[in-house]
Amino acid sequence: MTTNFDNLFRKYHHRLLIYTMKFVESENDALDIVQNIFMAIWENGKFRDREELVQGYLFTAVKNSCINYLKHQKTVKKFEQSVSLQIKEMEAVHYHSGERSLIEKEEMGQIHHAIHSLIPIYREVIVLSRLDGLKNSEIAERLNLPLRTVETRIFRALLILKKKISQKSILILLYLKWVRNANH
Amino acid sequence: MRHTEYIDNLIVRFLDGNCGPQDQLELKNWIEESGENKKEFFALKDIWDTTLSPKDRTVEQLSLFYKNLYDKSKRSRAILIRSFAAVAAVLLLGLILSVLIPYNKSFQADNMQVFSVPLGSRSKVVLADGTEINLNSGSELRYSSGYSSVNRAVSLSGEGFFKVKSDADHPFTVKTSDFDIQVTGTEFNVCSYGDNDYSAATLAEGKISLQMNGTKQVFGIEPGEKFMLDREKRKYSLTHADIESEIAWKNGEFIFKNIPFPDLVQRLERWYDVKLNCSGAELQNFAYTGRFKNQETIWQVLDALKLTSPIDYRKSTFREFTILYKPLKQN
Repeated sequence: MTTNFDNLFRKYHHRLLIYTMKFVESENDALDIVQNIFMAIWENGKFRDREELVQGYLFTAVKNSCINYLKHQKTVKKFEQSVSLQIKEMEAVHYHSGERSLIEKEEMGQIHHAIHSLIPIYREVIVLSRLDGLKNSEIAERLNLPLRTVETRIFRALLILKKKISQKSILILLYLKWVRNANH
Repeated sequence: MRHTEYIDNLIVRFLDGNCGPQDQLELKNWIEESGENKKEFFALKDIWDTTLSPKDRTVEQLSLFYKNLYDKSKRSRAILIRSFAAVAAVLLLGLILSVLIPYNKSFQADNMQVFSVPLGSRSKVVLADGTEINLNSGSELRYSSGYSSVNRAVSLSGEGFFKVKSDADHPFTVKTSDFDIQVTGTEFNVCSYGDNDYSAATLAEGKISLQMNGTKQVFGIEPGEKFMLDREKRKYSLTHADIESEIAWKNGEFIFKNIPFPDLVQRLERWYDVKLNCSGAELQNFAYTGRFKNQETIWQVLDALKLTSPIDYRKSTFREFTILYKPLKQN
């Protein structure tokens, strides 16, 4: 029984944490949220279900928890950061109404692959920003570039990554279609 | 371009968390302008968020999970006992109290917590007092549900690395089938599998005292020393140990220095949960030195052995291999 649960924990914990951190800035709060979700599936026994069901359940739970967290933050913080909270809430609703994040679609590996295929000036800023966790101003300083240039490069890099990933999905669909036709 | 470079930079600044209230409002208005804008913004933010690389804390969080679970069950049990006691007081008023007390005591004493690790995997337990125990494949740890920072006793069959929370007033005891170890706050490794010829304790830090079962003999072990007991002959030895290779298993590594082939086979069997059948008396005389990481599969390990020593192997059934002696060709 515990082995099954442990496997789920090991497989989904990191993804759920990254997902939570889309909406929750504090890593400690995010860790708490993920712990509570696992505690819930332990207590209600849902971890014994088929994995597709459990996965769906985990991501629904994480979305609900994030929405609740944001609501709570709004009452706690009242005026502070209220616009950025509103944007986050809009985003949470966006994903709650059926849209799926790349994290949920397990395309994280593809993104890292896509990062490696960027041309050097774009790859450089993305690696420094996302993988090394530097702020844009720190990147500008390190590369000796104006801040605006760093921002523009990051934007273009994100745009290219977005295009690359959607193309990949189309290719996969085409391939699936081809396989299906070939079988007939 | 559907939008200006100004908006592009605004988006990046927002993602970077470097956006004042005025900018945020402007961005929000832009997002709400059209469904297309909204989709675009969230898609870009999704890539940004997905590429975030926080430290992977899965293992640490899993042991925290079990600690929370343990704390929770302790709490609910306390509530259960308390409410049981209240009901009992009402119903059994007039009955002799001494009947109730021993019953309650034995009920608690029998309640053992068992933590077992299946073959082929490893695990970590954090006890209520903060003591951490890494358990190797095929091990079992037991402790009474009354375990607390003042009552610190566990029993172990298998292999475990203990990092005991320091508390000089309340010693921590590990019981095994051969000996008991008592410590106040140290790091040490205990290896006591039921099917091994020997059991052992190795000290990394601090001080431990070890008492053989059924005797009054107590040994003090110093850091870097390994106490080893030959189970059949009931003979013990105290030697200088290579701490790194003794406790490498807890970091998923497998280091061995000059160990006899049968020992290697036994450790691989446990580590990978496989059965290795060896034929050929010649094999018994080899000694091995090497280092593997747990990412390697049993196939890779056997291939490495095959390259470096005169053996060959064959898969016989699911999770079962035969190892053969195969002399190197002389040329």
